[in-house]
Amino acid sequence: MENNTKIGEHTSQRYNAELEALRERVLTMGGVVERQCQLALESLVKGNAELASQVAGGDYEVNDLEVKICDQCTDILARRQPAAGDLRMIVAIIRMVANLERIGDEASKIGRKARKLADAPDRHAYIAEPLHLGKEVSEMLRGALDAFARLDVQSAIEIIARDPEIDREFKSLNRLLISHIMEQPQRVKNMLRINSCARALERIGDHAVNLCEEVVYLVRGADVRHLSVEEIKQRYQPRA
Amino acid sequence: MDSPKALNSLSSAAGENVMDTGSTQETVASEAAPRIPLDIRDHGSVGDAYETIGTPLVENAKMSARKVNVYYGDKQAITDVSLDIGRNEVIAMIGPSGCGKSTFLRTLNRMNDIIPICRVEGEFSLDGEDIYGSGQDTVLLRARVGMVFQKPNPFPKSIYENVAYGPRIHGLAHNRAEMDEIVENSLRRASLFEEVKDSLDKPGTGLSGGQQQRLCIARAIAVSPEVILMDEPCSALDPIATARIEELIDELKENYTIAIVTHSMQQAARVSQRTAYFHLGKLIEVGETKQIFTMPRHELTENYITGRFG
Repeated sequence: MENNTKIGEHTSQRYNAELEALRERVLTMGGVVERQCQLALESLVKGNAELASQVAGGDYEVNDLEVKICDQCTDILARRQPAAGDLRMIVAIIRMVANLERIGDEASKIGRKARKLADAPDRHAYIAEPLHLGKEVSEMLRGALDAFARLDVQSAIEIIARDPEIDREFKSLNRLLISHIMEQPQRVKNMLRINSCARALERIGDHAVNLCEEVVYLVRGADVRHLSVEEIKQRYQPRA
Repeated sequence: MDSPKALNSLSSAAGENVMDTGSTQETVASEAAPRIPLDIRDHGSVGDAYETIGTPLVENAKMSARKVNVYYGDKQAITDVSLDIGRNEVIAMIGPSGCGKSTFLRTLNRMNDIIPICRVEGEFSLDGEDIYGSGQDTVLLRARVGMVFQKPNPFPKSIYENVAYGPRIHGLAHNRAEMDEIVENSLRRASLFEEVKDSLDKPGTGLSGGQQQRLCIARAIAVSPEVILMDEPCSALDPIATARIEELIDELKENYTIAIVTHSMQQAARVSQRTAYFHLGKLIEVGETKQIFTMPRHELTENYITGRFG
């Protein structure tokens, strides 16, 4: 049974509607979080202090959705006693929204640093460094949300497999920043801010991976959170 | 064994209850209900040739059933079911009405024998011994494989006599003191003794529904059975009485093997170690209860336990 997590077809129409509403709200939350990340990156790259402030203080919508979704999950657990695919859906969503909320926090963090960096006269000298990392991480996040929407284990595993590359990039970016600092010690404050942004992006990548692991759990019923990419591929990748 | 005549009356009294609470109505209902198309995805085959998914067979089984077919007249109620009941385990049998789960349960102590149109095929064994063999005394069998029914059905006698009846006709007590001990122990094990110890001479029918059901369980365990079959034992009980019975099931499994048929999936999930899912007379999937309720392998199992049958 490859894809046994269909929401509809319950005898109870209202149950169908509840699960569908829950799933839609998770996708809405995903959309909001994705936009926060994009705006955070944009404020960083363009040196837009106003946008940066907006992102820095803009996680209330995500927090609100997290609370609402968890409440819906509790309600369904209490009243429907979901089993099998429905149960896995609820469990996965509870874990996913925690990750989405943290991604929102990381985006705010980038916003705060971007606000400080906006006035830096020499910002063009080092702002390009985290941009590439940001693009990759954004792609992973979008892919993770797509994989959830389509219950696509294959794509989810492909995204999980990208994480080591993100870690490598973060490390090399760090080395670069260290050499900048050694060359120009007067820039150390801004370099540390850039480092914080890079760290936040790397964390967003980790959270995107966590989202993908929940997609694998949801569809295949297996907890892959502490397996290596090779093990996940070997055991849970759908055969062509 | 002292008085087989009395024993027959015991089994037929129970038998009437069988007719009352289930099998005949269930068969009629399933004939009237629209047939759900049987889509056995994992095998691609539909119809009589099918294979049960999961682990229907276990090592060191207490009871074994192989290639079981049961017919009520022309209608086939069970098709080619093979299933083991593991020693000291609680196995839950679930499935929609008319799926054959109660019929299967009743084959395990030959309760279907008393339904004239019922025909049972297949091999059944208890500790490796053929229970449908020509030398098998069904009365003795039903003492070893006891049964608790959907509706509590105490005899219209005192609480004491309800429990003492079985041991008396099986000659398990040699004097009044021994009988008192059996009665008290059985009531204790059914966690009823404290509530009735001062009214043992009062009629069993005067107890509450939950107490009556525990009295029936005490009656079933009074003859020291090895296996207890339970056919929807809590369907007439409130949640607290249900919780007490479930607690009791959990304790009883230390000493007995228990097979329970239930329409409550939460109950199956709570009390059993293995779960068997029946559908239209076929045994679709058997597995560890946790696996069945979190990641069933067959689509029909998934549909049933998530409430997707219309």
